[in-house]
Amino acid sequence: MKEPPISQQDRRRRRALIVFQIVIYGYLLSMFLIQLHMASVRDW
Amino acid sequence: MVTNTLSGNTTTYDDHQEQSRLAQWQADKWLMAGSFFMGTAILGLIGLPLFLRGLVLQVRAQKVGLSVRPIMVTLIGYLVIVDAALNSFGWALDMIANHTLLARVFLMAWGNMFDAGYFWHYNELWIGGATAPGEKAWEIALLPIVFCMRMAAGIGFLQMKRWGHQWLIVTCWFGVVIWVGYVANMTIFADVRYSGVVFPVIGWWLYDLFYITPFLAIPYLHTVNREIFTD
Repeated sequence: MKEPPISQQDRRRRRALIVFQIVIYGYLLSMFLIQLHMASVRDW
Repeated sequence: MVTNTLSGNTTTYDDHQEQSRLAQWQADKWLMAGSFFMGTAILGLIGLPLFLRGLVLQVRAQKVGLSVRPIMVTLIGYLVIVDAALNSFGWALDMIANHTLLARVFLMAWGNMFDAGYFWHYNELWIGGATAPGEKAWEIALLPIVFCMRMAAGIGFLQMKRWGHQWLIVTCWFGVVIWVGYVANMTIFADVRYSGVVFPVIGWWLYDLFYITPFLAIPYLHTVNREIFTD
């Protein structure tokens, strides 16, 4: 069955949500990497 | 009289509604019992099989064509409730029951293994409990406001109420604020929180990844057909 065409608004919403996911997981990943780097240079 | 063959047999609409309601209640009984145990953390292993049994019943009811709650709504709703319950119990123990045997055993064990914020000078502040910089402020801000609201929103969402959907969106965005701030705090005070622990950094991230995931629900909540939720 053919999917109905999505509206311009839906397209923009999906794009914004994808950008949000990249930003938020990018932030978490960078915090993790900073902590990992600290662990490698400190005597924890 | 309206008839249909939704569940494979010729039946009335009212019969179909009644069967759907019963099937949903049957699944929810197992799911609620499982979530209750999992939400306590300590009894979590008892809860998992009960929860999975409920999930099987839910999938089965959907497969035979009964009008039950979508699986995605079920998973997100219960995940949010369990997440909020786990945080509430753990932090309530730390905030108001920090001298109990339970708190001193489990929270300090957690501190010793993964996060020295729950070990370093534990119970030495005037308020008791964790002493990591900022930790108590997070507990006071998030426990009565975010996590209570999140449990209420989760219940409304599982009942397929419109307010449940709306408030789940609000509290999922709260989740973003929480984790951006909390992870920044962990990084800034990493020397306090990871010094002398058994599994620094990786241990904390492995454990906390589950708590960080509820905002994965944000794309679903913003794109789901909101007409499935009722006033």
